[in-house]
Amino acid sequence: MAASSSYMASTKFSMLGWLGKGNKFSKSNSNSSPSTISAQQQAQVQEQEDMKAQEAAAPGQEKAKQPEGTRLRPVEPQVNVKSKNMSREYGGQWLSSATRHVRIYAAYIDPVTCEFDQSQMDKLTLILDPTNEFVWTSETCNKVYACFQELVDHYEGAPLTEYTLRLIGSDVEHYIRKLLYDGEIKYNMNARVLNFSMGKPRIMFNNNNLDGEVPDAQ
Amino acid sequence: MQGRLFAWLVKHGLVHRSLGFDYQGIETLQIKPKDWHSTAVILYVYGYNYLRSQCAYDVAPGGLLASVYYLTRIEYGVDQPEEVCIKVFAPRRNPRIPFVFWIWKSADFQERESYDMLGICYEAHPRLKRILMPETWIGWPLRKDYIAPNFYEIQDTH
Repeated sequence: MAASSSYMASTKFSMLGWLGKGNKFSKSNSNSSPSTISAQQQAQVQEQEDMKAQEAAAPGQEKAKQPEGTRLRPVEPQVNVKSKNMSREYGGQWLSSATRHVRIYAAYIDPVTCEFDQSQMDKLTLILDPTNEFVWTSETCNKVYACFQELVDHYEGAPLTEYTLRLIGSDVEHYIRKLLYDGEIKYNMNARVLNFSMGKPRIMFNNNNLDGEVPDAQ
Repeated sequence: MQGRLFAWLVKHGLVHRSLGFDYQGIETLQIKPKDWHSTAVILYVYGYNYLRSQCAYDVAPGGLLASVYYLTRIEYGVDQPEEVCIKVFAPRRNPRIPFVFWIWKSADFQERESYDMLGICYEAHPRLKRILMPETWIGWPLRKDYIAPNFYEIQDTH
């Protein structure tokens, strides 16, 4: 079972609408150079697949760009990340959109230590399915990350508000539902809470056997 | 049908139009936005010292936005206080209506709600911002041409 995964994308959202005091700082999009999966990261991926996800912000796997040149542009992993800007005087700056399978935070969350760095508001972190309602493989995870990256690029220039993050989260959820109906992901029957939140399984649930393979009753 | 207030206002030369009586017998008048401020002051001086309710609605898609004020007079020993209902119609593209908070204090939150739901801008409001929707919401939810974005629902209905 794949553990919950996280993905970080840097974003070109305009912050002009956000900080009302005219604090205009435009962030530059740090397009990380393509990096291939190193052997050590692969091992880290393997052992984290055995972990079960617990509460919020469970650590995920580091994601790296595929050598085939998909659209994933992850942010370089950072060392010595400390939780910043989490205290009360920064209250109201915790931009997030959280639904059952998709949690997007406008911060940098370290995947290993779960330090939540709020001051880096030019990055969005996606935490995918922390409750493991579906069975994830790394390809399906990467598909969702690619969709997320596309959406972030599409929303470039939009004000960085919870409304926008909610729109992005909803689009990712619709993409996950599409993957479910196409049969690429399945419900996890060992999940702690099994309530089929994206529709109960039906006959012909996965559209890829539409060519009449359902046998007739004899 | 026109009532006493209408006759009184005509006598004082204020521009308005009567919209008849509603089912409870409350007289309804229509005032233009640019006259509303002076008319509100005059009504307050006349004796309507209590803004019972302020609401707003969308008349038709592509039409006007209406802001409705129910005024009444609070005084002692009166069984049936006088009431009047004022409707101010504002154009949809640039709906600006003068703010009567300075006359009747109860208009504060109610006009913020009208702003939040329909987008009617009230001039000279000290704190005109959204009161029901989240502050970063885009769009005016109760307008007839508002389409909610396709947000994800928590659970599909079975």
